[in-house]
Amino acid sequence: MKNKDEQLTYEDLLQIVEVIKSSEQFAEFHLKVGDIEIDLRRGGEPRAAPVAGSPAPPAVPRGGQVGAGEPMVQPGAPARASAAPAAPTASEQAWPEGSIVLRSPMVGTFYRAPEPGAAPFAEVGQVVALDATVCIIEVMKLMNSIPAGASGVVTHILVDDAAAVEYGQPLIVLRPH
Amino acid sequence: MTRARPMRRVLVANRGEIAVRIIRACRELGLETVQIYSDADRDSLAVRLADRAVCVGPAHSRQSYLNAEFIVSAALTQGADAIHPGYGFLSENAAFAELCESSGIAFVGPPAEAIRKMGDKATARRMAEEAGVPVTPGSAGTLSGAGEAGEIAARLGYPVLLKATAGGGGRGMRVVRDPASLAGQYADASREAAAAFGDGALYVEKYLERVRHIEIQVLSDGETVLHLGERDCSIQRRNQKLLEESPSPALDDGARERIGEAAVRLCRHVGYRSAGTVECIVDAASGAFYFMEMNTRVQVEHPVTELVTGIDIVKEQLLIARGERLSLAQADVRLHGHAIECRINAEDPERGFAPCPGEIRALHFPGGPGIRVDSHLFAGYRIPPYYDSLMAKVIAWGRHRDESLARMRRALAEMRIEGVPTTIPFHERLLGDERFRRGEVHTRFVEDVFMGEA
Repeated sequence: MKNKDEQLTYEDLLQIVEVIKSSEQFAEFHLKVGDIEIDLRRGGEPRAAPVAGSPAPPAVPRGGQVGAGEPMVQPGAPARASAAPAAPTASEQAWPEGSIVLRSPMVGTFYRAPEPGAAPFAEVGQVVALDATVCIIEVMKLMNSIPAGASGVVTHILVDDAAAVEYGQPLIVLRPH
Repeated sequence: MTRARPMRRVLVANRGEIAVRIIRACRELGLETVQIYSDADRDSLAVRLADRAVCVGPAHSRQSYLNAEFIVSAALTQGADAIHPGYGFLSENAAFAELCESSGIAFVGPPAEAIRKMGDKATARRMAEEAGVPVTPGSAGTLSGAGEAGEIAARLGYPVLLKATAGGGGRGMRVVRDPASLAGQYADASREAAAAFGDGALYVEKYLERVRHIEIQVLSDGETVLHLGERDCSIQRRNQKLLEESPSPALDDGARERIGEAAVRLCRHVGYRSAGTVECIVDAASGAFYFMEMNTRVQVEHPVTELVTGIDIVKEQLLIARGERLSLAQADVRLHGHAIECRINAEDPERGFAPCPGEIRALHFPGGPGIRVDSHLFAGYRIPPYYDSLMAKVIAWGRHRDESLARMRRALAEMRIEGVPTTIPFHERLLGDERFRRGEVHTRFVEDVFMGEA
């Protein structure tokens, strides 16, 4: 860089991000200063849901028990129709930009409430914290509490109570805070 | 022994060609199928063919095809009443068989107890001895250390073979040719076995050279135990079978009968049920045979036996798991003609058989008289890099060995797989080899003789 004044600081970068975030008009922002290039995009580009390349939850059984697994949270994007013809997935659709989709980290039975008749962990419109339990997946009589994995407002609950779910199946959609 | 139990929907706990094979058997029996799959197998043929499909985990098999709890969970949520484990993965896992049965799901295979007895090689040897089946001279059980190995090796005479009791696929196995190298080899084999199988225990046996690998297919409903003749699997490389045939060119009817009866005795002794394979080594010169191990599952090469006996082994497994009695007696089992199988792998024989995953750009399978192809390939299929490299099994039947060999050569010449290297050129060269054509091979033939001449 030739001119010291042209140098971009971390604070500058944060300010730019804040401006873009609070703006209703701009969805994309490009900046080139010297040999530094910044590319900001809001909400994410529509692209195929990262199905095969999704982060693998470490659902390793410990001592014959089922590991709770980690929540699979992914930026919401128009999901590719599942190639599995008979997979019991809820029909996948496009979520609002910026949505976060919580996917099942394991194959099992989905429960919305801690026990039959109890109030559900989460309802549409409810605000949930990152580590709040939003559902239970039962695997061979073992109840695995599934945390939201991101804080936000629940916009969709995609699976009926007590339904069978498979690994990677979208369960709940959140609008992040 | 087993009571008839309802079986309506079978979960296929495997992938690749054997998953397709199991779905085919289920469909012919009017059974519904649930195919499990990992993220990497979403677009597989088995997923397309099955009535239902459930993703059980990510590509890595430890989190999908080896995850016993998730697989049984998938069976329960999908209403499957049986699980067929195929080969590999959980097929010889006694705890998995128990988990299925305790969850009210039929395990399409032997009782857990029989898997346990035959899965541990030292125990399996003892079982064979108790049943009066010859075993290679060696230690009675596992060894206390290199010292004991040395004492027994001196009595047996070198070379000797150190083997991991929990072993398989050649790991934890060492040929020791002189006393000086025994201690070092012992430590290596034990360390390798501990790392691979979590059990470093070894046993030692006399190492026999220039032997054939011959295995007996058995079928048992728990009361009737049948042997369906042998398969000669001497064509192998690094303990990986490449080509199998039945009957063996090295056995006469008397030897076949003796080995078959021994295999039946062993199965009765351990309370075996379902299909299984008793592996032996046979010294072709003397006709002596020795029990090696038992595989408590369906084998990759089972179609060879199906073509010479006319018995559908996978269907029989399902019927036995349903509690049905075998409808055959030993006198009904007749070997008709000759069958040979070539394993077509996505491997490059020019580069040490290195596995080569990739996309199948174009595909043509052979057909015509006497040809069967078991495969999960289709044009455009991507072979994932996470699993084994088997792409197809070509099986040729003929009235006699010469006819089946001629049909195999004709079939391989018709076959086209574009996009990945294949083992077809290796098989074509082998089928043209005079020594192979005369049946004069042994388990070291490919590595020590044939490959060296390439």
